[in-house]
Amino acid sequence: MRDNSATPILTLEDIVAKTSDLPSLPAAALAVMRETDSPTGTAQSIARYLSQDQALTARILRLANSAYYGLARQIIDVSDAVVVLGMRCIRNLCMVASTYPWMVKPLKGYGLGPKEMWTHSFAVAVGAQLIAQRSRSTVSDQAFTAGLLHNLGKVALSIWLEDKMAGMLAIACREGLTFDQVERKMLGFDHCDVGSHMGEGWNLPKPLVEAMRFHHNPNACDPANPLVDCVHVADYLTMSMGLGLGGDGLRYDFQEEALLRLGLTPESFDELAEEFMIAYEQHEKLFEDAA
Amino acid sequence: MTAVSGAVLVGMADIQVLRGGGQLTCLGLGSCIGLCGFDPVSKVAGMVHVMLPEAFAGKLVEKPGKFADTGIPALLEAMKKAGAETSRIIFAMAGGAQVFKFGANAESRLDIGARNAVAVTNALKQLGMKVVASDTGGNNGRTVNFTVETGAFTVRTVTAGEKTLCNLKG
Repeated sequence: MRDNSATPILTLEDIVAKTSDLPSLPAAALAVMRETDSPTGTAQSIARYLSQDQALTARILRLANSAYYGLARQIIDVSDAVVVLGMRCIRNLCMVASTYPWMVKPLKGYGLGPKEMWTHSFAVAVGAQLIAQRSRSTVSDQAFTAGLLHNLGKVALSIWLEDKMAGMLAIACREGLTFDQVERKMLGFDHCDVGSHMGEGWNLPKPLVEAMRFHHNPNACDPANPLVDCVHVADYLTMSMGLGLGGDGLRYDFQEEALLRLGLTPESFDELAEEFMIAYEQHEKLFEDAA
Repeated sequence: MTAVSGAVLVGMADIQVLRGGGQLTCLGLGSCIGLCGFDPVSKVAGMVHVMLPEAFAGKLVEKPGKFADTGIPALLEAMKKAGAETSRIIFAMAGGAQVFKFGANAESRLDIGARNAVAVTNALKQLGMKVVASDTGGNNGRTVNFTVETGAFTVRTVTAGEKTLCNLKG
């Protein structure tokens, strides 16, 4: 529920226009995302787009050649990488290589130290992908990206919230509000709105934009979007496991309906949590020396 | 949350034991519990980072510290091996945070934090062990630290800073 009791001091447009060092996705990464979603996308077309961005290509090749994949031979170009690792894997590597540089920065406005936003976002990406697979959802290819980008709005909003965290938490405690409700009360919008606004500006596919917009309130997404539900459940698991927790901590709602819509049950939740942590720890190794 | 310099990190599902000196730390606890036991006479301290309430039936437990029901006996065993006397060990615990609200029909089954806190408390009670202080529940992530030399068990949150919850020296 939107609370308009406070006069907004900024608009969503202001956030995008006035935030210095605003995150962006390279054009090549957006093209790769489109190609992997398209039935006509091929290894050749993906390699062609990537070859237009040498810096991104270099980072992808470093990840592809990391110990995590343990490949018998070195991958020397992107065409080779797409063939050996597959389109989905390249898409995920592309997103990781594109977002890592700005996600490792500290976000003082949310009480997050260096790398903590990355830890959280990467964990939600791994979790969302796992949950999509467990629920036999058709969205598993997009789930990793949706998880990685779900808190994009925090990256942009952080600078505007510096020195406000203590006050915001005081309001949250006094009035019994979640942190996103406090954001809306103070600003007129929350980090979900900011992220989805930016995602629209990047022309991201609608399901991904919805994952940013509704990840704290999946029941409000009509019609229901399994990608939103996967991110919501993964976000809860990630917060529960204490991965990249900021000052807002676990001050959000969990909507059990998201779990049920995915065909998962509360009874199997502990096992899902264990599987999630195993998957996270395995994937995290990818970045120990490569990212 | 930053690590305490020089402290032994107790990662998720880990059990760590120190004798004579040093510090034990669980970083960034969400719903997990950081449980610390201390024998002030032998100066043996142990900490476990519990992730879930109970081990899964019929599934091999690779890391006993992952679950409350297997982690607490394993912690006691490790502390005894290091020279602690069971009857002298006292405990403090922190963690078990929860999200703000579950859905209208949500069962407590999904509330891992609350279930962890109950499971740890029950497991200690069954073994006749004493918890002198606990800081569980709420919505904050926590970092816990125990210093063998001083006996201080501290809890840190991003918003409230570091506070000494109790002293396990007795």
